[in-house]
Order: sequence, then structure tokens, then C-alpha cells
Amino acid sequence: MATVQTSKGADLLERLGKNGDGKPPLGCMQCGLCAASCPLGQAMEFPPRKLILQAESGNLEKVLASPSLWMCVACYACSKRCPRGIELADVLWPALRDAAMQQGIQPPAELQETFQNIFKYGNTLGRSPRQRMDWTKDLDVRVLDLSKETRPVEVLLLVGCYPSYYPRNQVVARAFARLLTQLGITWGVLGAQEKAIGECDRMFGEEGLFETLVEANRKLLDKQDFRKLVVLDPHAFRALQKYYPRFGVWYPVQHYTTFLAERLEQLKPLIAKPVEAAVTYHDNCCAGRRCGYFDPPRNLLQLVPGVKLVEMACNRDNALCCGGGGGGMWLDAHIVAQGGQRLSDQRVAQAAETGAEILAVSCPYELARFEDAVKVAGLEGRLKVRDIIEVLAECMDLGERNA
Amino acid sequence: MIDHESLRIGVYVCHCGSNIAGALDVEELTRFAEGLPGVALSRHYKYMCSDPGQELVKRDIVEHRLNRIVVAACSPNLHEPTFRRAAEDAGLNRFLVQMCNIREQVAWVTEDKADALTKAEAHLAGAVRRVAGHEPLQRQFVRIVPRALVVGGGIAGIQAALTLADAGHKVVLVEREPSIGGHMAMFDKTFPTLDCAACILTPKMTSVKLHPNIKLLTYSTVESVEGSVGNYRVKIRRKPRYIDEDLCVGCMQCIDGCVFTQAKFSNAFDQGLGLRKPVYLPFPQAVPPVPVVDPEVCLQIARGKCKQSCVEACGERNAFKFDQQEEIEEYNVGAIIVATGFKAFDPSVIEYYGYGKYPNVYTSLEVERLLNAGGPTGGKLVLRDGSTPKRVGIVHCVGSRDANYHPYCSRVCCMYALKLAHLVREKTGAEVTNCYIDIRTPGKGFEEFYNRVQNEGVQFIRGKVADITPAAGNGDSPHLPERPSGCLAQMGTVPFSGGLVMQVDDTLLGSIRKVEVDMVILAVALEAQADAGDVRRTFGISCSTEGFFLEKHPKLAPVNTANDGVMVAGACQGAKDIPDTVAQADAAAAKAMVLIDSGQIELEPNTAWVDEEMCSGCKTCISLCPYQAITPDEERKIAVIDQALCKGCGTCVAACPSGAAKQHLFGDEQVNEELEGLMNYV
Repeated sequence: MATVQTSKGADLLERLGKNGDGKPPLGCMQCGLCAASCPLGQAMEFPPRKLILQAESGNLEKVLASPSLWMCVACYACSKRCPRGIELADVLWPALRDAAMQQGIQPPAELQETFQNIFKYGNTLGRSPRQRMDWTKDLDVRVLDLSKETRPVEVLLLVGCYPSYYPRNQVVARAFARLLTQLGITWGVLGAQEKAIGECDRMFGEEGLFETLVEANRKLLDKQDFRKLVVLDPHAFRALQKYYPRFGVWYPVQHYTTFLAERLEQLKPLIAKPVEAAVTYHDNCCAGRRCGYFDPPRNLLQLVPGVKLVEMACNRDNALCCGGGGGGMWLDAHIVAQGGQRLSDQRVAQAAETGAEILAVSCPYELARFEDAVKVAGLEGRLKVRDIIEVLAECMDLGERNA
Repeated sequence: MIDHESLRIGVYVCHCGSNIAGALDVEELTRFAEGLPGVALSRHYKYMCSDPGQELVKRDIVEHRLNRIVVAACSPNLHEPTFRRAAEDAGLNRFLVQMCNIREQVAWVTEDKADALTKAEAHLAGAVRRVAGHEPLQRQFVRIVPRALVVGGGIAGIQAALTLADAGHKVVLVEREPSIGGHMAMFDKTFPTLDCAACILTPKMTSVKLHPNIKLLTYSTVESVEGSVGNYRVKIRRKPRYIDEDLCVGCMQCIDGCVFTQAKFSNAFDQGLGLRKPVYLPFPQAVPPVPVVDPEVCLQIARGKCKQSCVEACGERNAFKFDQQEEIEEYNVGAIIVATGFKAFDPSVIEYYGYGKYPNVYTSLEVERLLNAGGPTGGKLVLRDGSTPKRVGIVHCVGSRDANYHPYCSRVCCMYALKLAHLVREKTGAEVTNCYIDIRTPGKGFEEFYNRVQNEGVQFIRGKVADITPAAGNGDSPHLPERPSGCLAQMGTVPFSGGLVMQVDDTLLGSIRKVEVDMVILAVALEAQADAGDVRRTFGISCSTEGFFLEKHPKLAPVNTANDGVMVAGACQGAKDIPDTVAQADAAAAKAMVLIDSGQIELEPNTAWVDEEMCSGCKTCISLCPYQAITPDEERKIAVIDQALCKGCGTCVAACPSGAAKQHLFGDEQVNEELEGLMNYV
């Protein structure tokens, strides 16, 4: 009997999808729904369909060497729609990127720098862990630093890299701190010990770095006594909910939108004034399309008197990604160099079409990305980008005192 | 008690070609059987079910005075009757035969040959010890009611009913809607011959109405089914039409006479695209040609206040009965054919196709109505604003071949999409683009039709459409506030009627394309009816994972079901086209006739019986019996089991506090012996 020669690519595809991660890519029927759904598909040399086709046909090397391998921003549009149930974003892309790096193919330089930062400092921004608590400086509510004193708390808040260090996001973290305190919840943070959750590493195929972070976070969190984790970053939510359990590490975790939306009745009495504005909400990909939480953020916005919620043409399952996921936060230059458009620019244009005055978001990356896009589009003064927490804080008078 | 002294069991191990012999050592298994208690002889043979194989058993029974037979072969579903008959031919009671399934339960599911042998030995030991306890039983028969029930008045039900009736059998045909005809009545043309659907269907509909052997009950549903094969008692719920079917002559004067001068309510038959009055006929060729009154919107029924100009129009025929109530009618039938059809997939759940959001995204069934001369536009294919589309896109596999919706291929969509492409081009001259994953045309004349449509200039793009969005710069609002209730009413008033863009990966070209069109037709999947689960329970049949009714055997019993008296036909069993449906309906009718014409049916021997001396008359069993087979004999203070109704489920046997309820072939001794034999070798 003649033996059928399988290519390395086919072997790789066969290995995937064997541990409950969707269906095996070998079942792909080349319908192209993924490629045409991909917001960057047209700019890719190998959009998802062609990745599979080429890998299967023995052209794995060609795929791994292509710059398009580093263009996926993990928006999950392909995974969600794939008629054969293949987990393209969660499984296929990271596996191929991992294979590329193992062959010594370097990802774009910006991204390598980010990995270095996480490796050295435990955060994507390359800042000192000692500055982790800078966001609490002069904050008018007490923040319990569990790295200094371990006490039982209801909520352990994982602040995340951007809200800890980046001034624009610090505002959100501070408002959330006030909100938690107002709700009478006992809560604390990990302070200088907090480390990146590592979702972007995993999605980028840096499986080794991700494992290191899982282990480090497990050690930190096992020491603490909390009822649930609340995260500001939906990417961290996704990783803790789906990927940490792979390593036997599981904690109850909620993204802040779901956490707050369960407490609408307690939030109501805190309302002090209306926010008169037409607001459109941008669904982040992780909590939204990937995990199906579309209503909690909208319920929160609708709680605010004066808010007129308007929807963009693509919303919920069909929302356009901001382009920041899966490492995309650091890939704009690479994507544009490959002929791709910045998704944040397109999304802001869609938001502007609704006539909304506020573009509400619930992911730390989006503030920076969309505010930049608003500037590029010359919409400053007409369209404001606000985290949902900020909208709530405004109507509850919990914003910055000096702002 | 088992008399071990006189036992002479013959054991026969079948090779089943290499099915069993390839998976375990049949010679070793035969030697093993020789050592089991009571076994007089043990043989193996290549095909036990063959004539020589059966002859072997018969000869041995006579020559070796065998008084029990064990056949280690395939499932008893297949050859138990064969060997029972063989034993009977040789003068042995047919119930002294036991099948031991070493094919499906051992050979096909065990990889290691040694493991398979051990497992087969355990099964065989169980069977040998069990058969020792078997007693000779009498065969029992019951008479079959010579009437069939057909459920569903689509083309499947119509065909089955006519075939049965033409063969001289009485048929009760039940249809949920006011008219028979089903989906086929909605279609304009049928593929691949392009016959007009109405032209070939309506004569059959009329035949149903006029046939002396068919009792037609429209606007009716089956409420309950009791009894068993050959003897079913069926209750049928008849919804009020508020018009007496016997008095109405179908003149339709009432519709003209209705106080509503304009039709303003959505007509479900037209997929909501057309309008009707409170009193209406779903479509012109409806059978029976009796209008029906919608109680929700009829002023007289809903508010009790109307000048009743309809009654006036009806005149001395006096057919209106506003006080008509729902009624239950009862029928006894011997066989049932379930032909309840399919439901067209609702594509609004696939948000990226914009159905329900963009007015000019249609389902294929809606377009069938638009193309149909009897439809809401009189057969004109128009957009919501009344204009004729110049570019039409057809999206294949909407809800089919998709793990998120239905993983199966709906089988008919490729062909109906090609048909629609042809009709759209013929009627409007529009440029038509079909976006497909694979074109599947495996039927008589199908590939030729595909080729014809290609040559007519229809475009084909191989790729599944990803997004349908409004084309740039076409009007103020791309949204509809809500789905319009009727396209005629909305024509010209819909704000958005501009172009749409289909984004698709042209997988043959290798590039992602944006195709601008005026109208999108979604070739939607065929799925199981929403209430298939209830229907399944009513008739005691099963559903496969996708929700369609399950046939008894996918190849060899395609219209029978696990319930012996119930047959299935048409798209309720799985997506299929009209030719296949008609063929299946005839097959189901034939199977129903096999049953009815046999006049009587043999009961399964494994019924329960009551040891009258042990029964205390506590009646525990009576309420537990799911088949109402047990009645109390108040005089003798015992329970009596009707052998014709008992299905041998064993509930009463397990529940009886005094051990008086027993079951043929499932006595304690038989079951315990089998278990012990099995367990000794595990």
C-alpha cells in the first residue's frame, strides 16, 4: 500500500483542536467565510482560509514567513462564524505563530519589545512594579493593598496594566475605586505584586511567557482570600475564564460590566444627575463576541438618566474590532505597512455616523485607540470617548474632583 | 424450575463472513460453548442465516434431539425471526431460541481480538444459561383496524393518502392549516423541469377532496394517540373555522362582503408579504375551498359588534357559525403515516445577513411567493419600493452546513437557488450572482439544469457570503424600524431601497470581493418543524439529533419507525425534494398497506401476565401501566392484563409488591441466569 505523505503543516493542523478547542482545522471546507469576515482579510496575504489551505498543502514555511501571520488582532469574527466550528483566533493563529517563533522567525519589533517588558517588569508598558499603585495617589477613597496586608475581601480587583500606569486609564481605575467603595463592597488590589494576566502573549503564540505568568499569578492569588476577581480588561477576563483553567488554575472572575450590571438596584440610589447625551456603545471582542456579554454594558448605560443609547450599524456579534486585541495594540504600524487600515479609525467613523456624542467603551485599550482615531478624523469636540465607568461616575458625581 | 437433566442446547456461532470471524476466534468460542452446562453440541458456520446455515440447525434439532437453540450472531432485530422460524420448522417451539449478539455488541466495537473473545464468551454463557429457562409459548395475534391516519397535508401526506385510498383503503387525512397543499402550494415552479407547482399539485388536492375513501380534516391537529400497532385510538382537535364546511359552497361572496373593504392583515401563506381580510382563503386553489375566519381580527368574534355583511353575502346558504367551538373527534386506525413536513429556517438569527433589518434581503420562500402568479404581487418580482431589481444576489447554505445552525446539507437549496436564478433572470433580466460553497446537483436532470442556468449567464462565486451591508450613499437610513407586515402596504414608503453589498471570499479567484446588488435572496435551510418534539411524543417515535423523525433503519427500513404501526414520509424525516418525498410517501403507503392487508398482527411474546393465585388485587400496577393494558377484576380481586395492549415494558412486573406480575421471556429465573452467566466471565 502506498503511504500518503502528510506535510508538516497537515500534521500541525491535525494536532490542533484535539483538546476541546473547537473542531480540527482539517475539517475546513474552504468556504472563505472567515476571510471575508476578517476586518483585515483583504490586506492579508494569507487570511484564515488560506492559512489552512496552504498549511495543509505543504506550504507551511510560506505561511510562517509571511508578514500577514502577524496581522490577526483576535477579534474572533472568524471563530464565531466558522461553519465548521474551527477556533481560528484562539487556536490556529497562536499555534502558527508559535511554530514561526520556534523556527526563529521574529515577530514585528514593537511586539518583541512588549514581550520583553512583560518578561522583565510584569507589565506591557515597561514600567517599574513599584509604580503599580501610582493610580491611587491622592485618591479620596482608601485602597486596600493586599500585598501589604492580607485580609478577606469580597472583590479582588485586577487593575491591569493600562489602568495602573497610563494616565488616561488611571482616571477610569480611580472612578471604579470610588464606585466600589460607594457600593459598600470590601475590595483590595495586589499592589506592587500585580502582574499582567498575559492574554496578549498567548494570542501571540508566546505560550512559554504565558505559562510563566499563569504560574506567577497562581502563586499570588492562592495566597489571597477573596470571593471573586473583577477585571477592568476584558482580555484578562477571557484568559482567566478560559485559559488559566487549562493549567488547573481557576478563580471566579467577572468583567466589571457584568459585575456592575448585577447590581443595578444598588447603583440606582447613587445617581445624582443626568448625563444628557446620545451614546453609542462599542462592544469589545472578548466579553462581547467571544463570550456573549452584550447586554450588561448596555443595561449600565441605560441606567443613566439622559443617556440616549444609539446603535452603530454593526453591533453586538457583528461589531467591528478596535484592532487592539491579541497584541494588535502594538501592531498598528505593521498592519498599515501591509496595506491594512487602522480598525479604530473605521470604528470611530461608524460611531460618528450614529450622531452620538459619546462613544462608550469597556476595555482599557479602546480609550487610547479611539481617542487617537477621533483626533485623526478631526472629530474632537464632537465625539468623546468614555469608559462606561466614566459615564456612571459622571452621573454619580464620582469623577475627578479637580477635573 | 429448570430441568437441567433433560436440557439439550445447540449453540451456533456465526462468522458473518469476516464481520465476526475477523474480530474474534470463532473456533475457540465454539469450543468454549461445548463446555457450558446443558450444551449438547456447538458448531460454527460462515453464514448461519443462509439456507445451509438454517438447514444445519433444523437437522440438528431432529438428529440430536435439541430442545434449546442459541445463535451467536448479529442483533436479534435482524435474524431472530429467521431462527425462530427454522426451529419451528423442525418441530421446536419458536420461543426456545435465544440470539446472542456478538456482532454489534462485540465484534464491531472491540479492537483487541483476545478481549473480543472474552467478551463474546461472557455473552454466550449468559445466553446459554438464559435459554435453559425458556418455556414454550403460544403465538398471539390481534386484528388490525382497516383504516389509516395520515398526518400532514403537504405533498407527502396527499400522495400517501391518495395511494392508500386508490388501493381501496379508508384514510383519515389531518392537516393543521385551513388548506392542504403545504409548502409545494407556495412554490412557483419546480426544479429541474420547471413545471408549474400548482398545475401538478392542485389536481391531486382536488382528488383528495373528492375521494370517497378519504376523510379530510383540515384546520385540525392530532391531540392524542392511544393503543398500539394495528389498533390506535386517535383524538383529533378540530379548530373552529366559523364557517360550516358542509354548507359553504366556496363562492367567496363573504370575502367580498366583509366590512373590511381593504385587506389589511398579514397572510401567513404569503410569508407576510401579502394581505388578507378577517375572512379569507389562504390561496385561490385552497382545498377545501372554504374560507376561514380569523377570530383575532373578526369584529363579530373579537368584539361581538359588526353589521355582519359577510353573513348577508352568504345569504340563505347560512354557512356562518360564529358560535362554532373547538371539537374533539375520535377515530380508530390501524396504521399511521406521519408527514408533517419541514420549516424554513429563519435567517434573522444570522445577524450578518441583515434579514429583517435590510428590507431587500428576502428568504427564498418569500421570493417564491413574489414569483408566483397567485402571490401578493401577481407574480412580479419587485423590491419593497415597487421597482424591479437589476442585480440580484443569491446566498447559498443559509443555516445549512453550518455548525452554528444546522450542520447538515439541506439537499434542495442548490437546486431551488438555481431555479430561482433562472426565474429571476427570465422575469426581470436582472444580473444574478450565486454565492455557493459547493453546488450539489445529484438528481435526475439536475446537473443538466445547473449547466443550463450557467449558460443563461448567471454568475457563480465560490465562497460563503460573510456580510451584507448597505451600499455607500444610498439614502438616509439603512434601517427599518421593524419588519413590515406587508410589502404591498409598505411599497414606496420604505425609506431604504438602495443597493446592498455582499462581501465574499471568491475562493477560486483567491480574493475578497464586494458585490453590489439590489436584492439578496437567502437560500434558507430546511429544518424540523418547531413542534416536532411534541409530535414525536404523540406518536411514540424518535427524532435524530437534528430534530427530524428517525426512521427504523437508514437503509433498509427508511419509512418505518421504532413504533411498528407508524410510518414517516417526506421532509419531516429529513430534508428532501418533491420527487424523493413522493417516492417516500408511496413507500409509506405501501408499508401501511402491508400492515393493514395482513389483517392481523402477531404480538410480541414478551408480554406481562398475572399469577392469579399470588395477586392480592392491590391495583398498584394499574395506574403505572403506560399503555392502559391492565384492568381490575373486581369480583375475583385480581388484575387482568390485556395481552393485545401490553407492550412488555415490565413496569408492572417491577412494581408488583407480591411478585404476581410476571413477564414472558423475562422471568426472574431467565434474567438472573443470564446475568450470572454473563458475570462469571467478566
